[in-house]
Amino acid sequence: MNRSATLTALASPIDRCSRTQERSLNQERALERFLAGIERRAFRIAQMALRDRAEAEDAVQDAMIRLVRSYASRPADEWRSLFYRILKNRITDLQRKRKVRSVVQAWWSVGDAEDAPDPVDSAVDPSGSPEQELEGRELLARIEEVLASLSGRQREAFLLRNFEGLDVAETAVAMGCSEGSVKTHYFRAVQALQLALGEWNS
Amino acid sequence: MRDLERKSRAAFDESVESLDAATRSRLARARAEALSELRRRGMNWRSAWVPAGVAAAAALAGAVLIVGNDATGPETPPSLAALEDLDIVTDGEDLEMFGEDQEFYAWAAGEIGDEVG
Repeated sequence: MNRSATLTALASPIDRCSRTQERSLNQERALERFLAGIERRAFRIAQMALRDRAEAEDAVQDAMIRLVRSYASRPADEWRSLFYRILKNRITDLQRKRKVRSVVQAWWSVGDAEDAPDPVDSAVDPSGSPEQELEGRELLARIEEVLASLSGRQREAFLLRNFEGLDVAETAVAMGCSEGSVKTHYFRAVQALQLALGEWNS
Repeated sequence: MRDLERKSRAAFDESVESLDAATRSRLARARAEALSELRRRGMNWRSAWVPAGVAAAAALAGAVLIVGNDATGPETPPSLAALEDLDIVTDGEDLEMFGEDQEFYAWAAGEIGDEVG
């Protein structure tokens, strides 16, 4: 074998390394775009489900890390439903922990002012006050109240379908149930909202 | 889409748009943290393979250049040969992974040894 061929063969690991580096750089950029595009909506959805700002931030961060850790190599068009699946599980975990905490607190009768939701956190964000915007905020506040009274599945279906705009198939992946089940839960959620918010639905 | 769905979606979108700066900043930090996880994992993978592959390639390339220069004799100026070799090394070719070519490198080393001897 001549010297040129030998050196050409030697170039292979360097080429392979630079191609791998380029691929992981592209993957990182794609993930960055995906997360930047989803994080605010995900946070608001988590906040509405948990009704707690700090927990919602934790849940979103955790979902981001888990997505990157376990599913970064999956096709990009699967990331959204996978991300919401992780987020939903994290929200469920936090709700369970909260339930246990409240049972323990009730047992020890230590529920004091510290446990009350922070009024600053639950306050609506101020950013100008046109009438229409105010109406939207009032509607959203009412929706949050009604959603809190729905079953977890109905709430998830509504948040993911209506607010995040996932289609039925993506919502089914995110919720870990059948598409038929998504349709049923969503329909019931909308029905409950219509009943409770009759005056807005005209 | 029913009116209530449309209105609630618009109200939600509005609330996302008007998220306060502190929350947006914390979310951006969370994102950076998640992406650093990806970089850490990439570094771990590369740290296992790249130094070994590059060091072995550099050692063999060095051996070939030194021995090759001796063998080509005075008709090829050493500096031109080195440039030509650099072109070859930096030229992209789709070849198998370095680790899969152990037998080839052993054989190539033997060939070079024969030429010298």
